[in-house]
This record gives sequence, structure tokens and C-alpha cells, in this order.
Amino acid sequence: MPEGGKIDSKQAIFLMVSMVLPTTFLFVTSAIAHLARQDGWISILLATLTALLIAWLVANLSRRFPGKTLFQFPEVILGRWPGKVVALLYIWWYIQVSSEVLREFGSFMVSAFMPDTPLIVFELLIMAIAAYTVRNGLEVFTRINQIVLPLILGSFVILIFLATPEMNLKRLLPVFIENGAAPVIKGAVMPAAWIGNIVTMAVLIPYLNKAKEAYKIAVSATLITSSFLISTFIADISIFGPEVSAGWFFSALNGIRMIHLANFLERMEPIAMTIWIAGGLVKISVFYWVTVLGSAQWLELKDYKPLVLPVGVILLALSIMAHDSIMDLLTFLGTIVIFQDLIIFQVGIPLLLLVVAIIRGQVGTGIEEKEGGKQG
Amino acid sequence: MKKLLACLFLLVIMTVVISGCWSRKEMSELAIVLGAGVDRAPDDQVRLTLQLAKPGAFTAGGEGGGGKETPTWVVSETGKTVLDAQRKLAGRISRHIYWAHDVILVFGEEAARHGVLRYTNYFYRTPQSRETMWIMVAKGEAKDILETHSQLEKSSAQDIGYLARAKTGYSVNFKNFIVMLSTRGANPIASRVDIVERGITQGPEQEKPTIHKGAALTGTAVFRKDKLVGWLDESETRGLLWLRGEVLKGVITTPSLAEPDKEISMDVIRGSTEVQPQYDGESVWFNVKIVVEGDLLEQQSGEEILDREVREALEKEIAREIEEKTRLALEKAQREYGVDIFDFGEAFHRKYPKDWLELKDRWDEVFAGAGVDFTVEAHIRYSGLQSRRTALEE
Repeated sequence: MPEGGKIDSKQAIFLMVSMVLPTTFLFVTSAIAHLARQDGWISILLATLTALLIAWLVANLSRRFPGKTLFQFPEVILGRWPGKVVALLYIWWYIQVSSEVLREFGSFMVSAFMPDTPLIVFELLIMAIAAYTVRNGLEVFTRINQIVLPLILGSFVILIFLATPEMNLKRLLPVFIENGAAPVIKGAVMPAAWIGNIVTMAVLIPYLNKAKEAYKIAVSATLITSSFLISTFIADISIFGPEVSAGWFFSALNGIRMIHLANFLERMEPIAMTIWIAGGLVKISVFYWVTVLGSAQWLELKDYKPLVLPVGVILLALSIMAHDSIMDLLTFLGTIVIFQDLIIFQVGIPLLLLVVAIIRGQVGTGIEEKEGGKQG
Repeated sequence: MKKLLACLFLLVIMTVVISGCWSRKEMSELAIVLGAGVDRAPDDQVRLTLQLAKPGAFTAGGEGGGGKETPTWVVSETGKTVLDAQRKLAGRISRHIYWAHDVILVFGEEAARHGVLRYTNYFYRTPQSRETMWIMVAKGEAKDILETHSQLEKSSAQDIGYLARAKTGYSVNFKNFIVMLSTRGANPIASRVDIVERGITQGPEQEKPTIHKGAALTGTAVFRKDKLVGWLDESETRGLLWLRGEVLKGVITTPSLAEPDKEISMDVIRGSTEVQPQYDGESVWFNVKIVVEGDLLEQQSGEEILDREVREALEKEIAREIEEKTRLALEKAQREYGVDIFDFGEAFHRKYPKDWLELKDRWDEVFAGAGVDFTVEAHIRYSGLQSRRTALEE
């Protein structure tokens, strides 16, 4: 097997949180508020429900094929060539996701902090580190994440606490009546596509030391992520109100910029930058690792290390070439990507695979047995 | 050999990274903007005035030295947009114009009357400028305000900024200003800044003390949507503060009940304002409940404040005084300007979201016709260090 690492359940939860939260928190409010206005937190709740369904789907599917990842079990379900095609689609999708994440990372640094620096500088630097991390394997960046994520979540709580003097919770009123259901549902699509990346569990499950807990892990990670997203949303809306929030690119950054206490506790946005870089590194590493691992499994290689650099170059080039501006990135992420992500890759294909597997009666040998065998 | 090459490669990379980022700004290369002013120039152009901190003047040693030279420098230039004007200024300033420490943004009266939306976008967009800067409208030109100097502070912009922060009047930061601008149930307000006699400067060489004229906050500017429609003076601004229930500090003075020619002053410690809209399908009215707590700190008259009845009568008198001030501001907003500057629209919006959809497009009209009932409660909690007035019996 290309990847030999094993991680425990807590590490897996941390990893799945880092895969979504550290970058999405920055623009969650503006992305949702322009559709669902002050009711966006309901949208996030809906998105959470969707993600829980996806998690169930994936956990159910993986349980039937222990030891096999998302890039391997389609072959068992659909037969060799159709399965290969599905796996290839997933590889293509992960290449796209990784390069978009990379582009988001660079775009934020350039537009908010260092306008004169070329985008490629940030992307190249983070990719160099990510390549090194991925080369070292799953266990390594999981452990990095174990250090990074508690710091991120801690500073998160502190920042929200410090911004409370600026908040007016009345800005969240009136609830629901004004906008009705349609905008709330529209607003739920984007966060659903973000949290829905929990589908990546299908790649991670074979590397858990307790694969039985897969669903529990996915659920905890989803709940942690969405509770932080909801707090960010409520904080931003109660600072800026829905109209102004919808206008920002990075609403949480503007929220953090508002912090000024006792005339010295102010200008806290370097913390936002730190969260972004540290969390962004883990996030990019996860998707990068999945892409590389998937490619190696698709090609049936013994080791994925030879693929790290070539795939990295592809990701880097794609992220630079895909968009000409941050506006283009935003409209792309807000329209095509979310439907493609959600409908095809997070719900559609897994559902199809599950249905076929059930029809063909592929129950799987059961993880318990395998674990028992391993010990014996 | 391989390791050596790798090390060399790293060294080359280091030279790129260590030299810093492209956007680095050394302190010694910056012209720090302390205050900015936007005036309307002919042909709808923008005249941008910047008050810049002179380098070195703000370090510790600068103060004792000259004293004659002001530590700031004011420049202004006209352009089609704010950024255009700033670009032209860059040709005359040897340093990089740096916005991140801007304390105030002043709109000229003329510019405000023609609508501020034209000018706010740059400050909204640029990462350097801060949402925490104070927004004000000059009576007259913004340029004149920035050209004043301060006696107590190093620059007039900081001086005005401190005044705004003390919240003696109604102070609005950029964030709240744009929130009000973009909310349908609210009209923006900002502090009014004017040049007034602020005091007398003294000096050993001076034959006669000279009067120092400086910028000060003298009330509130009232907008309809983004256009300035009028002003509230200082006492109406007090009423505005009570109605918005935001910063309830200050002093309330009422005549004594026993001796009407003597006055009593209460220092307000805290207060709260609650606005309850009512709607029956036809008319809109508001129940406003204001609760104030304070300390009795000055008493010209001699009544016995330990007596509960006297105290209660006094509290009533204070409540009446507050209501009067509040009505003053309300009358002006309803009758003279016809704009809702108290966020009543938002209160209504929150309570009657369905009816709001019908009313929101003509809200200012509805507001102008709305009735307002006041319930004001005042409580005297402390009376300083004195329990009863010691006075010569007459």
C-alpha cells in the first residue's frame, strides 16, 4: 500500500476539522449573507444536515470494503474499467479542489495584506512546505495539525470574545419570516459544499486504527466545524449587519479589524493571517495528499512519493492559470463549483456506488473480522 | 555533492525570502495620514486633504525641543476620485502615503449635501484604511478643519479623535456609518465638526493672551440616505443620544422645586433606552422607555435630599427634563427634516417584518407621522460625599 500510516480517532477528527474550517471561516458570512441575509445561520444548520448525510453515506460505503479507499472500491463495485473511470473523476476533482484552495490561500494574502507581492510567491512557498509534508506521509501532517488546530480554535474563541463590544445581536432579527425558505436554502448550498468535503473520509477510513468509529469521527468533525462557522456568522452579522457583511470578501477579517479595546488591544488581523497560513497549510496538505495517494492507487503504484512533485507542479500551475482575478475566483466558487461538488462528487457518485453495492449484495467482509485477523 | 547543491539552492532561496516582502513599508519611508478630509471641488471633482504626521515629531524627544513647529503637515489636491487625488499628492510627498493610522475622516458640508456615497467607497475597499476611524461632517470645508492645530495634542486630527472617543456628543465610526448608510430603516448621522474658540494660549513673552481657535465637535449632522439635510445642535444631540440609547453619560440640570431660581445637577452614571414599536394596520407609534441612574453632585438650593418625597419629586423633575430634550430632537427629525435617525425603522422591521415590506419604501414619511409615547424614569442613587447641604441658616 502506498501509505503506511495509521492515525487514531481524535487525530482524524482534528484533521477533518482542519480540512474545512481554517479557511472557510473568513468568508462564510459574506458568502451566505448575500443570499440568506441574517438567516444564514439556518443555512449553515441545513448544510450541516446535508454533510451528516454525506458522512453516513461514505461511512456505510467504506464499511463494505475495508482497507480500500475511494479510489479503489469503485472498481470492486462497478467492475474494473467503469470503476477506474469513477476513480479518475475523483482524482480530477481533488486536483481541482486542491488548486482552488491554493488559489484562495494566495489570493487572500495578496488582496488583504501584500498587494505588491506576486501570487506565485505565496503559492510556491506554501506548496514547497506542503510537498515536504505530504512526502513525509499522513502521520506527519496529522501531528502538525494536532499542534496547530487547538491554537486556531483557541484564538478563534478569544477573537470572538474580544469583538463582543462591537456586536449587536439585534441585527440577527427578524428571524426567518422576512426572507422565507427559498433564500435560506439557496444560502445553504455553498456551506454544504464546504462541509460536504467530509466525503474525504472515504480516503481516510482505511488509515484509521479504529475504522469502526468512522461515522462517529465524521459526525464530530462536522459538528465542530459547523458550530464554529455558525459562531463566526453570528459574530460578523451582529457587527456589520447583513447588508455590509455581504459586501466584504473576507467578512471575518473585517470583524477582527474592528477589535479595539482600551486603546491598545487593536489591529489583531495578524492573528487572522496566522490562522489562515497555519490552517491553510494543513488544509492544502490534506487535499494534496489525497490527490497524490489517489493517483498512486489508480496507477497501482507501490509508493506515492515519486508523484508528489509532479502533482504539486500541476496543482500550482492550475491554480495560477484557472482564474484571472479574485472576482473570477469568487464567482467560480460560488456558482459552478458548489453544484459540481455537492451534486456530483459529494452526494451523487457515493449514492450511486452505494445503491449498486446494495443491489449487487456487496456487504463486505466486515472490519471487525479484519482487525481481529490482524491482531492474530 | 548532492547535499552541497541543496544547501546552495537553499541559500539562493534565502536571499529572496530574507530581503522581505514586496509590500514592506519601513517606518522611515511612510507619510502617516492622521486625518483626511473630502471636499467637493467644481465639476464634481474630489478635493482630498490629508493631515500627515511629520517624521520624528512624534518621538519622545520632539516635544521638548522647538515647540514652535507643528508636528503635522497638511496637503490637498483635487482629482476625479479619492484615489486619483491621492495619486496626484504622491507626486508631492516624498514618502509613501500610509492610511492605517488615520484617526478621522471629515466630509465637507458641500460634499455631504451632494451625497457621500460618491466618496466612501475607497475607504470601504482599501485594506489600509480602518473601519474604526471617526466620521464627521465639517460645517464649511473639511480642509479648514484639518488645517487647524491643537494645543493639547500633537495634531488636530488626534485632538478631534480624542473628543470623538470621549463620546460627549454623538460619535460615529466608519463601520457604523456604512451600516447606517446601507440599512433601509436608518438614516446616517455623524458628528459635526466646526472651528470654534477653544481657549486662550498663554506664554511669558505674550503681551496679551491670544485666543486659540480650533476644531471641536458641535453637534450632529443629519443625513437622508447619503445626503446631508441638516444639523442638530448640542442640546438636541443630547436628545438624540437618549433616543438611540447608546452613550448615556452627561449631566442633567433642573431647577430646584423649593427654590426655583436655584439649580440642581445630576451626573448620569448609566441609562437604558427601550423602543417598542406598535402597529395596528394603519398608524404606527412608538413607546420609548428611558431609565436613568445617576449621582446628585451639585445642589444650589437647600432642600433635604434625605427625604424620600423630596427625592422622588426631584427624580420626576429630572425625568421631565430628559423627556423635553428628547422631544426636541424628535420634533426636529420628524417635522423639520422628516428622516428617521433613531433606528426606529429597524426596531419596527424587527417586530413587524411582514408589514415592514409594505412600509419600507416610504418609511421616512411614516416615521414623520408616527406618535411617540415617553416613559422616563430617573433614579438618584448617590449624592457624592455629602448627605445634607450644610448652609448658613438665614
